[in-house]
Amino acid sequence: MKNKPERRGLIDGSRLIIESLARAGADVYVGYPITPSNWLYAYARQRFPLFLPAPDEITALQWAAGFSATGRFPVTATSFPGFALMLESVNMAYMMELPMVIILAQRMGPSTGSATTGAQGDVLLLRGAISGGYPLPVFCPSNLEDCWKLSAEAMRMALTVRTPVVLLTSKEMVMTHHSFDLSCLPAIRTLPRETFKGNGEYLPYAAAPAEAPPFLPVGNPHHQVRLNASTHDATGLIRKATPEALSNTRRLRDKIDHHIKEFTHLEYDPAPGASVLIVSYGISSEAAREAVQKLRTSGKAISLLIIKTLLPVPTAVFDILQKYPRVVIVEENLTGLLRELFFGQVSRPEIRGVNRIGALITPSEIVQEVESWQQ
Amino acid sequence: MATVESGILLERPMPYCPGCGHTVVNKQLDQVVRELGISPLDVIVVSDIGCCGLVDGVLGCHTVHGLHGRSTALAVGISLGLQNPSKKVIVVLGDGGATIGLQHILEAARQNVDMTVIVQDNMVYGMTGGQVSGLTPESLKQDRLPEEEQVPAFDLVQLAHTAGAVFSARVVVGAGVKEVLREAVETPGFSLVEIVEMCPSYGIRKVKELKEVMPYPEVVLRQTRPIRRVQFQQKASLLESITAIPVQFNHRLEQRLHVLIAGSAGEGIQSAGELLASAAMAAGLYSTKKGEYPITVGTGFSVAEVILSPTPIHYTGIETPDVAIVVSADGWNKIQSRLSASTRLIVDESLAVDKKQPMVRVDFRGAVGGRSAALAAIAFWLQQEEWFPLEALRLVSRNRKYAAALEAAIAKGQQLSPVG
Repeated sequence: MKNKPERRGLIDGSRLIIESLARAGADVYVGYPITPSNWLYAYARQRFPLFLPAPDEITALQWAAGFSATGRFPVTATSFPGFALMLESVNMAYMMELPMVIILAQRMGPSTGSATTGAQGDVLLLRGAISGGYPLPVFCPSNLEDCWKLSAEAMRMALTVRTPVVLLTSKEMVMTHHSFDLSCLPAIRTLPRETFKGNGEYLPYAAAPAEAPPFLPVGNPHHQVRLNASTHDATGLIRKATPEALSNTRRLRDKIDHHIKEFTHLEYDPAPGASVLIVSYGISSEAAREAVQKLRTSGKAISLLIIKTLLPVPTAVFDILQKYPRVVIVEENLTGLLRELFFGQVSRPEIRGVNRIGALITPSEIVQEVESWQQ
Repeated sequence: MATVESGILLERPMPYCPGCGHTVVNKQLDQVVRELGISPLDVIVVSDIGCCGLVDGVLGCHTVHGLHGRSTALAVGISLGLQNPSKKVIVVLGDGGATIGLQHILEAARQNVDMTVIVQDNMVYGMTGGQVSGLTPESLKQDRLPEEEQVPAFDLVQLAHTAGAVFSARVVVGAGVKEVLREAVETPGFSLVEIVEMCPSYGIRKVKELKEVMPYPEVVLRQTRPIRRVQFQQKASLLESITAIPVQFNHRLEQRLHVLIAGSAGEGIQSAGELLASAAMAAGLYSTKKGEYPITVGTGFSVAEVILSPTPIHYTGIETPDVAIVVSADGWNKIQSRLSASTRLIVDESLAVDKKQPMVRVDFRGAVGGRSAALAAIAFWLQQEEWFPLEALRLVSRNRKYAAALEAAIAKGQQLSPVG
């Protein structure tokens, strides 16, 4: 319910993402500037309690992990070239169970590609980012409201399961201005970093099944803390594939799979009698929304699914997909990455993609694809 | 000097080969901690990959075992995060880790972060078969990598000193290590100690030989510099700094209007687009402004895509522009293929535009210069089409930097007449 007077301003997604994270309690931004994440960097400089420019992205992630180990909550932002450098360190933070949020503003690849051209090219990279296929949580805002809500939600998940979480976005989400009523933004509460309160022995990786272990910062005067990027048991000491160490490694998957249901965010807009489902995420979502509006205006029953919790894929997504004999997946890349994630590489007549590189997918392209199929 | 009963070493067997230099160094570090009276839980050892990284298992202090070469950077985050001079952050890495992570060492030294880096330099990669590192002396390469025999080792101690370490030393494993380590740990700021060690499996086995082979002598380099400290400061909300744009004018738009503003980078195209979008808000419209430009900030094209709408806008792209305002050749070259037959063109008269659609040519650049041409052209167009009062554009310009220049461009644009 809206109870505040309207306050309209011309704003961009970067501002909302950074403000949301700061309100949720993120307190240190470690970054290396790269287009199109520059505005996130600039806003973080203004807003975060501590802002540190790192000399490269590997350093950025390592410093961030160090801050996280002391109980701070770090955030960084980058795009593919920088994320590629961070990857080993993201694995380290994942293994050490150090929470942080990494904002990945996609741009067109391969390689350095085109810095000022948006894209949706990195979802499969994120699916495989953790060696062994372990799930790395990924949230993907579809509009400004999502930039606000999902950023804090990404942080909440990072703290709940003690893991790096990726906020996946794209150039046009973080660098386009919109008229926006700020009074619509719900309050964001500061998220506490829970710590171990027990009196007895503390084992840094002793955890309940499918949960993260209780946290204590390194340097605390009460209990020894061991953090380890290598395979380890509950003590935090390196172990070579012992049953206990393997169990600890399995828990890294289990804790995320177990909790993802609480963090599942989807926008499902079914139409009665629809046989076609349009699926999209991130920067292509708004084109999909407009296309669905147009198709419905012309009398066609079309359902829409916008996925905001992208990885691990919530079971609710598959439940919805199964209801439709025809699915159209809209994403700004050449090869259909989300399509491949859901349905594999085998070509299936009931699954179509609307794909493009170099510019936003237009509502007309989606409308045409659906209409050509229905004929 | 106060001593504590328990140092940081646990009573466990050392995990190294017999005769390894790491054993000697770890015992001396333990003695330093005892002699300085440091509580074990005030010590955080950040260890690297390689044999030296096996130290965690014999330590009773906090231990963090990271990636190859990255331990120094990880420790920077820990040291700055703790912000507590009584906590001793100590990195243990080998010559391999120092090679792969050289940038991290130089950066930590440059920032003078409060920490100690112990480089256990046995001159080879001991865990993977004795390969050469950046600290391997020429003489050790003779039978391992003769083609690199002429390539010298890094002088890590000098590099750290030059980068800004307040204490930087090289010492051969032995009795002298303890004193050097103690000074390093005691010194506030960034300290680095390179300890030249034997490797019984792949490197030099005797201390006497180490001294003959090591490429740079034992040395202690000191300097005084401010220590890097950080402060966590609460700052104002980013929402507070947004200029609220209340509705103060009427508009007469009944459907969406898609406007392209095209010109050259560095000529205020994006700012002009933002002003138009803001002005539309002051007239009660919804608006978006999307930018398109190359990575170069000051050369090439710049296109602002502005949507004005009486209803909420989802998709922020422009499929077919209703209006194109073009003030330079860069802009024209970029957008001309996007125009439809019905796109209304407002163009600078300097442009060679050969199109059949409705077009108005005005000497914007001649009247106000390149940097103000886009805003003057927007004012001219609004004056012509009257979607909302020009006063809205003036109003939103008043809160801006260079408000006077913006208002002058609007006033001039309003007065211009079409050419021909």
